[in-house]
Amino acid sequence: MTQGAAMATGQTPKAKIEVKNLNFYYGESKALKGNSLELLEHQVTAFIGPSGCGKSTLLRVLNRMYDLYPGQRAEGEVLLDGKNILDPAVDLNLLRSRVGMVFQKPTPFPMTIYDNIAFGIRLYENLPKSEMDGRVETALKGAALWNEVKDKLNASGQSLSGGQQQRLCIARTVAIKPDVILFDEPCSALDPISTSKIEELIDELRANYTIAIVTHNMQQAARVSQKTAFMYLGELVEFGDTDEIFTAPREKRTQDYITGRFG
Amino acid sequence: MSLADIASPIAKDRQEAAKASALSGFTRSDSMFYWATRLSALTVLGILGGIIISLFIGALPAIREFGFDFLTTQRWAPQMEPTPVMGALGPIYGTLLTSLIAMLIAVPVGLGIAIFLTELCPMKLRRPFALAIELLAGIPSIIYGMWGFFVLAPWLAEKFQPFMIATFGSIPVLGAIFAGPPSQLSLFNASLVLAIMILPFITAVSKDVFDTVPPVLKEAAYGVGCTTWEVVRNVVIPYTRVGVIGGVMLALGRALGETMAVTFIIGNAFKIQGSIFAPGTTISAAIASEFAESDGLHQSGLILLGLLLFVLTFAVLATARLMLLRLEMKQGK
Amino acid sequence: MNPIYASRRRSDLIVRGLCFGAAAFGLSWLAMILFSLFWNGLAGLSVTLFTEMTPPPGSTTGGLANAIVGSLMMTIVGVAIGTPLGLLAGTWLAEYGRYDRLATVIRFINDILLSAPSIIIGLFIYGFIVVPMGGFSGFAGALALAVIVIPVVVRTTENMLHLVPNTLREAASALGMPRSLVIRRIAFRAARAGIITGVLLATARVAGETAPLLFTSLSNQFWSLDITKPLANLPVTINNFVQSPYAYWKQLAWSGALLITLAVLSLNIAARVIGGERTRK
Repeated sequence: MTQGAAMATGQTPKAKIEVKNLNFYYGESKALKGNSLELLEHQVTAFIGPSGCGKSTLLRVLNRMYDLYPGQRAEGEVLLDGKNILDPAVDLNLLRSRVGMVFQKPTPFPMTIYDNIAFGIRLYENLPKSEMDGRVETALKGAALWNEVKDKLNASGQSLSGGQQQRLCIARTVAIKPDVILFDEPCSALDPISTSKIEELIDELRANYTIAIVTHNMQQAARVSQKTAFMYLGELVEFGDTDEIFTAPREKRTQDYITGRFG
Repeated sequence: MSLADIASPIAKDRQEAAKASALSGFTRSDSMFYWATRLSALTVLGILGGIIISLFIGALPAIREFGFDFLTTQRWAPQMEPTPVMGALGPIYGTLLTSLIAMLIAVPVGLGIAIFLTELCPMKLRRPFALAIELLAGIPSIIYGMWGFFVLAPWLAEKFQPFMIATFGSIPVLGAIFAGPPSQLSLFNASLVLAIMILPFITAVSKDVFDTVPPVLKEAAYGVGCTTWEVVRNVVIPYTRVGVIGGVMLALGRALGETMAVTFIIGNAFKIQGSIFAPGTTISAAIASEFAESDGLHQSGLILLGLLLFVLTFAVLATARLMLLRLEMKQGK
Repeated sequence: MNPIYASRRRSDLIVRGLCFGAAAFGLSWLAMILFSLFWNGLAGLSVTLFTEMTPPPGSTTGGLANAIVGSLMMTIVGVAIGTPLGLLAGTWLAEYGRYDRLATVIRFINDILLSAPSIIIGLFIYGFIVVPMGGFSGFAGALALAVIVIPVVVRTTENMLHLVPNTLREAASALGMPRSLVIRRIAFRAARAGIITGVLLATARVAGETAPLLFTSLSNQFWSLDITKPLANLPVTINNFVQSPYAYWKQLAWSGALLITLAVLSLNIAARVIGGERTRK
């Protein structure tokens, strides 16, 4: 595990995920055109661009969520810790346990708050009740939700507010100890206060995970990310440090988009 | 679990191996579940295949004996010595005629009630009325059958039929259709019970179909000053035509195969008479009343009747489903 | 008044009148049926109905105990066989087969079986079970009922699973949950109320089915719990008693019909209450 070692010695962050010349097809139509980029460890990478530019598609390649549907396929290479996850032999469930995902709409399971978290853990570990309680608490604390729900762990997950539900989903993802967390427009259905809580949370999570976030909101990208990728019509137009992209973009199209001239 | 643990590469490796072994425990149950669902889905096809095969094998002796004559023979004498004679003409005639009359009564009335429920009925009463109709559609057909036998048939024979015979008896063509004598057991009586039985079904299906019309379309029509009837005729019916026809065909499929609503009061007569007040029989009534006591060629002939009924209803139901499928696809757009 | 408008108004009034007429005509028939059912059925309702066996011809005592028990047995066995098969088949259609051409075929065939004449189902079971097993039996009757239950449960299961949002499945998959667990623990749970509704409706549907039992389970005048022998049941008993010359048998037929109707109506209402809870949420 050279990446881990490098990180431990405090050098510049290494690439957790390397995307190389990725093409993606919905049936006949090509949605991603030769994208290449790296997601660095302990950094938040934001994907921005107008609707239909392929940013969500790219995210769904990283945990092969597209595999649930027929007629969708990816070409190229996506290396997670140096191993190509597009290889048909990859165990998808194992991959997804390492690359977690939080969705646009909060998706609590139809069960109690406690079970929403415990459910995922039970998939991988057989824990005694006391230890499971501890893990659920840790996960809820990690998602800054513990104080709000500690007295009603047996209430339905669907009884929470939208923002709480979304943090529950983050807790659920964190509980199974992934390496990477993908956020697909996690705040688009939330109010501003919930949004800022989630943004703070993402910033904290960066310490332990590699994070990718798709967002429509450019201020959000500027606030939470270290790297930003601007995509347009399936192409990766520009990829670099967030500060640079938002202050001195190299490409005209990037500048037009972030100044609101289109999109 | 501290943060240091998560970050340490050795812990990471161990953790991943643990996850992999935990997941491998699911592989077997995962594929078992898949095959359990797939095989169950295939049993649906198996049932259809089983029906066709079992009917065909059962009907084979009768097919060999009678061939195509079965379809054109009116005589039904399964016990005749030395060679029995059996023909399906009577039951086919009865099946088609009772269904036709039942549809002539139930379709306009059922559509009328559906329009009443979706356009005219006061808002407060819509839910309870619709619920009542749906509940009535669920009442078993034997209830309709015995009510027809005990209550409706005597009334028809004493009041309605004499009136019709007296009114139309002297008019050339109608006189033959409404010829006497009045009878408690007749094709018409069976048709009326059948009509009453499919009425809630037609109403429920057409109401569901009418409900698919987008409210904005209706509002737009009311907005230019259309009357209720004009909205129904120019918006609701054109929009739902395919679905309504599909629903009506579905009801026809039911009427054709219905057994218990007609068996008691049709009279079990294989002879075809011109009058609708004369007794007759349908395919399902013939099977229901004779099958348990039949054997040999007689039984085979009854199964052949069943095969004919299955082919007939299959064709009608398949057409109905295709039409409803087209409506669904239109909605999906 | 503008003459065109007057004529439009006239035809509107006529059609409205016809629709009201249709509603009055249709509903009054149905009201009459319910009225005579309750009127005649309640007259014979008593404790002996549930405690005594079906009487021999000419007798003026006796009840429907054996027929009630036989009906319950066959309905329960039929639903118990048909439900798991229908549930799994519906699951395949909604989850695994969603993009499979085979699913389109199966769905179509299932829809046809849904309205296939029930007497044909009786003939099918007669040829497939009764003849090879060498005789009529309650089990054959229960199987015939199961064949009717399956398409109903397939249909509702598939519909209810389609209502489960795909995002929920994706979220479960994103945790690395194997497909079968996603379905069993998440999708089933989300669709539970709807599926229970479907099973109740299927039970209501077969509770009064008569035609498929006429030559599968037959009937039995005596007390019997042996499902491998002909088994008494309400619908066939009613069928036999209706056409009999004995007044007491006819009275029992009315009471039996009322029992069936009450059972069917309460199952339907229970199904709607459970289904309604789901839609309100």
